[in-house]
Amino acid sequence: MRAGLACAGLLLGTLLLASAVAAAEFGFDRVEVGMGGEYVLIDADVSYDLTDAVLEALEHGVPLTFELHVQLRRADAWIWDKDVVESRIRSVLRYHPLSGLYEVRDLASGTKESFATREAALRTLGRIRAFPVIRVDQLESGEHYVLRMQTFLDIDALPLPLRPKAYISPDWGLESKTWEWRLQP
Amino acid sequence: MAAAAVKRLRVGALAAVLSLLVLLLIALHMISGAVQDSERLSQWFVPLLLFTTLGLITLALLVAYNLYRLLREYRAQVAGSRLTARMVMLFTLLSLAPVTVVYYYSLQFLLRGIDSWFDVRVDNAMEDALQLGRASLDLHKRELLRSTERLSYELEDSSKAALALSVGMLRIESGATELSLLDSAGRVVASSNLDSDVLVPDLPDSSIIQQVASGKNYVGLAPIGDAGQLHVRCLVRDPLDRGFMLQALYPVSDTISNLSVSVQGAYVDYKESTYLRESIKFSFSLTLSLVLLVSLLAAVWMAFFTARRLVAPITDIAAGTRAVADGEYDKQLPVPRAHDELSFLVASFNAMTRRIALARNAAERSQRELQAQHAYLETVLGALSTGVMALDEVGRIETANPAAEHILRLPVRQSQGRTLDALTVESGQLTPFVERVIEGLEGDSGPWTEEITLSRGEGRQVLLCRCSPLFADGDGHGGQVLVFDDVTALVKAQRDAAWSEVARRLAHEIKNPLTPIQLSAERLRRKLLGHLPEDDRRMLDRATQTIVQQVEAMKAMVNAFSDYAKPSRVEPEPLELDAYVASVVELYRGSVPPVYYRPGAPDVSIEADPVRLRQVLHNLVKNAQEAVAEQADGQVSLATEVHLDDDTRHVEIHIEDNGPGFDPDSLGQVFDPYVTTKAKGTGLGLAIVKKIVEEHGGQIRVGNAEAGGARVTVLLPLASGDRQHTAGKVPHRPERKQA
Repeated sequence: MRAGLACAGLLLGTLLLASAVAAAEFGFDRVEVGMGGEYVLIDADVSYDLTDAVLEALEHGVPLTFELHVQLRRADAWIWDKDVVESRIRSVLRYHPLSGLYEVRDLASGTKESFATREAALRTLGRIRAFPVIRVDQLESGEHYVLRMQTFLDIDALPLPLRPKAYISPDWGLESKTWEWRLQP
Repeated sequence: MAAAAVKRLRVGALAAVLSLLVLLLIALHMISGAVQDSERLSQWFVPLLLFTTLGLITLALLVAYNLYRLLREYRAQVAGSRLTARMVMLFTLLSLAPVTVVYYYSLQFLLRGIDSWFDVRVDNAMEDALQLGRASLDLHKRELLRSTERLSYELEDSSKAALALSVGMLRIESGATELSLLDSAGRVVASSNLDSDVLVPDLPDSSIIQQVASGKNYVGLAPIGDAGQLHVRCLVRDPLDRGFMLQALYPVSDTISNLSVSVQGAYVDYKESTYLRESIKFSFSLTLSLVLLVSLLAAVWMAFFTARRLVAPITDIAAGTRAVADGEYDKQLPVPRAHDELSFLVASFNAMTRRIALARNAAERSQRELQAQHAYLETVLGALSTGVMALDEVGRIETANPAAEHILRLPVRQSQGRTLDALTVESGQLTPFVERVIEGLEGDSGPWTEEITLSRGEGRQVLLCRCSPLFADGDGHGGQVLVFDDVTALVKAQRDAAWSEVARRLAHEIKNPLTPIQLSAERLRRKLLGHLPEDDRRMLDRATQTIVQQVEAMKAMVNAFSDYAKPSRVEPEPLELDAYVASVVELYRGSVPPVYYRPGAPDVSIEADPVRLRQVLHNLVKNAQEAVAEQADGQVSLATEVHLDDDTRHVEIHIEDNGPGFDPDSLGQVFDPYVTTKAKGTGLGLAIVKKIVEEHGGQIRVGNAEAGGARVTVLLPLASGDRQHTAGKVPHRPERKQA
């Protein structure tokens, strides 16, 4: 019954809390955009500050999926214009209780790394090195571009029963502010 | 038009609300799928939740509006509001109770069912299994750590090649999968792997290296390789402080590895499920609560809607009944579509009002006909010159026509409802008439006809009365109807005609022998007067003189009778009244008693025969002078007056004296022939005057003045061409002049 009352309370507070969901817990500590050979490369350090609710879920074996959304658009593009580049770097953080290790797996490549501590795992998770955004020759000279990056916890990848609560709880609305960088080849 | 628009609006609102309910049900179904097992729907959870919340708010507002409207109608005591309130309360309770009970037990069942999935013993068993696995592995790890530490003592070489060789030998000796020698920064100095294809050793993360560098050796499990085979990673610091670290990766046996993976997998799944239990409860409770809220609000709204629909015909009937009570008999109510008792009731009401309207129309038609007949009767009675009065059984006046008022000279119609006795109070002259009628009423003698003579101030009035009983619907007496005519003029005319006949015969029978008598007397006188002695001669002279005089007198009287009897020939011509009267009065200048004249109709002309009118004035003036001849202060005055009222455009000539006046008892007979109060006279003067005046279309009235003396008024119509006086009444002129 208390759960029902809690549901009613949460239901009534959904709209009011919607703004609180946008509170950023993730952030870009350092971002460098440079030319590496034929590519535009990104080096970034992302800090992932997890809430207690998320940490509790992680310690209970719930895998957490983090997504770094990289978007390159022309500066004068309209909203309906296609992105020049849209990339998503998705990684899963999982805790293995028997070994006490934290596993970080890149969903794109399938590579896994294990860490004895959560901090080491998050640090590795947030370390982006030489991520190729686009080939340089694909950029038009003199054209202005905007490079945007945002990272967030992917709620849709959570176990199904957890999602309703995560959708409406501010504890689970973890995302960074959008980082922007203007490019002109 | 307005009613159709309102109806369309209601249908539109109903369709909108029903659509909202259907959409809410669909949304709830999708939310249910989203919280249960649908990956695709789970992405729509928040939009669905927002839509459902907005729908609930809309429903709540609808219910609040309906509640407010009902409260307002209830306070205003609008017809049907109380019944609607009761039905809404009843419907709400009927729906609220089962839904709430079902919600409560469903939630209890759901929460307890979810809780029952988890057991403390299973929880403990899972924990124990994990701990057992950890203990087993820890034992194995400690042995391998000690083994690795021993291996570190065996590394004595200093060159890189020798170290690499030693590391390879030690790996084979220790049975490790991989043995690596690292410097203090974690860089690989030498490494050996069971698989010669693996060139890059699996290095620990920096935190482990820092831990070991700080003096605390590390041992732990690590999944190695693409298959993730479980290994024991041992990293020890050089006990001889040569600045390197030795890492050894020992394979865990397949059995232990499989068991560990199995235990860990089961444990993780169980822990995850345990952790997600509250979320599952929350999701199901949320869904169930939404269903409850939607059901409740929809039920309450439906309660309002149904109650209003059910009560609407009853409200209409109440309003219709009130309308009928207020006289709107053709009120028709909209018949509900459903063929139930309410529609039958409404149809019966409509049939009843139709019949009432028909009856009302018939009654109104009858009333209009009655009024028309009444108006017709009133018109006929009003046009009658005969007086008509209807009396009830006790003699109260029920109806009277204008002719009755005219004849009785009383506003009889204002006395409706009063008894006939009241008329005698207002006019004592009506006493014989009233007494006779009452006698007829009391005697119940049936129809009667009688001529009743009333004494009026100006003379007698003869009424010919006919009275007939009225009968009521039953066998009772319904009063009487009294019809009476003023036959005074008729009686008088009859009498005048009789007198004319008498005069004509008298003239014929008497005048013829008078001439021979006179001639004979004159012959006797002429033949015998000279032959008789003196005495006889005087006697004969007196006798013949007397005979001749009396014959002359009789001739004059017979001529007067003849004049009165024969129809006169009136030759009217325009006369200026004041001048004409003045010319007549002028003849009496210096006469005794004096005659005064006061002209009051300047520039007014009449159509009259000057000879005949002069005869009238002479007769009247002469009568007046004779009436005051014995008085020292006797005088006669004449005056003219003009009346220009719309219905009585006439002039009046007043002849007054200051003598004794008329005897009131004989006022009615002063115009009768042979009626005179004088010692000499034929008694035809006033009769001839009246005859001449009436021949001129006028009237003559006699009476006594208030100050005393006789007063005769001659009324003559104005000349038709006289247009000088069309407005107002010409005031009397104050001056008096003696003729």
